[in-house]
Amino acid sequence: MANSNANQPGDGRPSRAEALDVLFNPRSIAVVGASRTKGKLGQAVLALLKKNGYGGKIIPVNPSGGEIEGLQAVRSLDEIEGAVDVVVLATPVGIALDALEACKALDVKMVVGVTSGFSEAGDDGHENEARLRRIMHDAPFYLIGPNCEGVVKPSADLQLTFSPMFDGLRPGPVAMISQSGALAGLMALRLGERGVGINAIVSSGNETDLTAADLLDYLGNDPETRVVLCYVEELREGRRFVEAARRLTDAGKHVVAVKGGRSRAGSRAVQSHTGAMAGDDRVISAIFRETGVIRARESVAAVDAVTALAAGRKPAGKRVGIISVTGGLGVEMTDLAESAGFEVPVLAETTQTALSQYVPFYGSVTNPVDLTGVVLANPTYVGRCLEAVAADPGVDIAIAIVTFVPDQLFIEALAEAYEKTDKPVLIIWTGSARSDASDEAFRERAVPVYDSPARAASGLAALMAMQGEVA
Amino acid sequence: MTPRETLEHWQKNGRKVVHEADAKDLIQQIGIPVPDRDPAKGRCVAKLCHDDYPHKSDHGLVRLGLSPEAAKVATDEMAQRYPGGTALIETMEENSVAEWIVGCKRDDTFGPIVLAGPGGILVELIDAAEIRLAPADPQTTEAMVKSGPGARLLSGLRGADPADSGALADLISRISVFFAENADLISEIEINPVMVRADGKGLVAADALIVLAPVAEEQGSLA
Repeated sequence: MANSNANQPGDGRPSRAEALDVLFNPRSIAVVGASRTKGKLGQAVLALLKKNGYGGKIIPVNPSGGEIEGLQAVRSLDEIEGAVDVVVLATPVGIALDALEACKALDVKMVVGVTSGFSEAGDDGHENEARLRRIMHDAPFYLIGPNCEGVVKPSADLQLTFSPMFDGLRPGPVAMISQSGALAGLMALRLGERGVGINAIVSSGNETDLTAADLLDYLGNDPETRVVLCYVEELREGRRFVEAARRLTDAGKHVVAVKGGRSRAGSRAVQSHTGAMAGDDRVISAIFRETGVIRARESVAAVDAVTALAAGRKPAGKRVGIISVTGGLGVEMTDLAESAGFEVPVLAETTQTALSQYVPFYGSVTNPVDLTGVVLANPTYVGRCLEAVAADPGVDIAIAIVTFVPDQLFIEALAEAYEKTDKPVLIIWTGSARSDASDEAFRERAVPVYDSPARAASGLAALMAMQGEVA
Repeated sequence: MTPRETLEHWQKNGRKVVHEADAKDLIQQIGIPVPDRDPAKGRCVAKLCHDDYPHKSDHGLVRLGLSPEAAKVATDEMAQRYPGGTALIETMEENSVAEWIVGCKRDDTFGPIVLAGPGGILVELIDAAEIRLAPADPQTTEAMVKSGPGARLLSGLRGADPADSGALADLISRISVFFAENADLISEIEINPVMVRADGKGLVAADALIVLAPVAEEQGSLA
C-alpha cells in the first residue's frame, strides 16, 4: 500500500503495509489455544471468528486434536501444510512463546498476541519479555501485541478477539488504535450503538513490535479511513506518530487521540526554565495541536468527537442554529456552544417566517428556537423546522433537541431532514424512549445522535477543529 | 571552529552547563544579536559567568546601570568571591518593549521541541508559552508569536509600542534549527530574556544558557 511503510534496512520481512494488508484480509487463520472449554481465551476467539461469518480458512491448534467448533484441529503448528496468513496466540504465556518460535519455520505474515504476562507483568514478566524480544529479533513476520484484545475488520467479517464488545459493527470510515483493549471495546460498542461505521480496530497492547505510529500511518493511508481514533498511554515513537498524524490531517482526514497516564520520565531533572515550563502534559497538548491531532480528555468525549467527524460534513463557519422542544435544553446548548467559541445568531427573517407556521405564539422563532411541546402533535413539524433552520444562510451547523417522543415517525422526520441538507447536523435525544427499531433510521444514515447537550458540545468542538481553528 | 565543533570541544572537556559569556559567543555565530561587549561609555551591565553558578542573581553576580569603570571594579570583586569565572561587561539594553523566553529541549515523547513566551519575571507568573516541534520553520514561528496570551503583550497593551515580533520569530526559528541539528550534543538551550525592541528595531539576547548532553546519552539516543 504505502511506501512510507518501508522496513528498517536489513529487515528480512515483507513491508509493514504488505503484512497489514494480509492481516486485515487473511485467507487463513490459525488459532493457537483453540478450545472446547468455555471461558478459555482460545475458545472465545474461535467462537467469535465463526459467529461473525469469517469466510477464510480457520485452523484450530490444540494438542489433543480432534474437532473444535466443527473444525478439524491440528495438534501443533508444524502440522500445518502450506502458508498460514495469520496466527493468533491465545494460550498461557509459556506455550504462546513456544508457538511464536514455531511460527518462524512456517510461512506466516502476522502474529496477533492476545496472551499476557510480559513487560506489563513487572518482574514476573521480565523473562518472558526478554524471550519475546529474542524471538522477534529476526522473525520473518510482524507481531500485534502481546497483551492485546486483537483485531477487528467489519468489512472482512474478521473478529480476531476474545471480547464480545466488537460484535455487530458495520463497515465505515473510523479506524481505531488502542493500547488498552478494554477502552477499545468501550469506544467500539458506543460507536456501534450510534451506527458509526468502523474500518478497522487494532488493540495494540504492549506494542513490542508494531506501534501506534506504524498503525496510524497504515490505517491513515487507507482510502476507506476518514477518522482515526487513538487511545495511547505511552507514545514510544511520538515523533513518527505526530508526523503520520500531520500527513493525515493535511489530507483532510482527522485524528482524535486520548492520552492516558503520565510519563514516567517526566521527573528528570532540568536546569533551565524551558525544561520546567515544558511539562509532559503541556507538550503533548501543544504538539497534538500543532500537528492537527484533536485531543479528547477521555474516551467517551473522544467517541463524541468521532461521531460528529465520521459524518464527513464540514462546517463552513461557526454559526449554530438550535431547535428544541423545550426551552431549558436549548438554553444549555446555547451556553455550551458559545463558551466553546461558536455563535448562536438570530435567524434570517424568512427562516423565522417559515418557523412561525409551526411554532405557537408562546414559543420562540429566534435562536435557540423553542418549538414547545405543541409540535409533538405532528411528527412532520419537527422535521420541517430542522430543514428550515439548516437552510438558513446564516447557519453553518444545525442542532435539534428532542426529549421523550416515543414515535418512530419523529425519528424518520428528523432523519429525512438530515438528508435534505449537507451542513453538519447534530441530534440530541435526552429521553430513553428510542427503541432499537426506531433508531435504525438514524443508524443507517450515521446521523450523529447525543444524549445530552454537553456530549453534543464535544462533537461541536471537533467540528471546530475541522475548520482548523481550534484543536 | 564551527559552532558544532565548539560544542564537541566543550563536551569532550567535560563541561555540562555552558555559562552565559560562552553561550552568547556561540549564538552570535548563528545570527542572534547580543549586546556590545566592553563599551567605552554609557550604562553597563556587569556579570561574572561561571559554569557552576548558572543562576547568577542568586549569588550577587549581576549588577546593572554601572559606568564602564564601575563595571570593571564590580567584576573584579565578583571574581575574588568566585574564582574561575569569566567577567562580562556589556551595554545595558534600555529600549526594549518586551522580554521573552526562548528555549529548546529534547522531549521524551516527541524529541526536539522549542518553547517561546513572556520572559523575565512573567515566566513565573503566567503560563503562556507556545510550544512547537523543532526545527520550526519561519512560517511556524511567525504563527507562534501571534498565538496565545503572549501575542497581546507583543502587539502592545494600553498604547505601548508593538514589539518587533518579526525579529523574534526569526530568532525562534534560528535557535530551533540549531538545536535540532545539534540535539545529540545539547540537552537544553535557552535565551532568557530576549529583549525585544519596538517594531523594526530588532532585539538582543540579554542572557543565554546551554546545557550539554552527557556523552553516554548521546550514544544511546540518536539512531
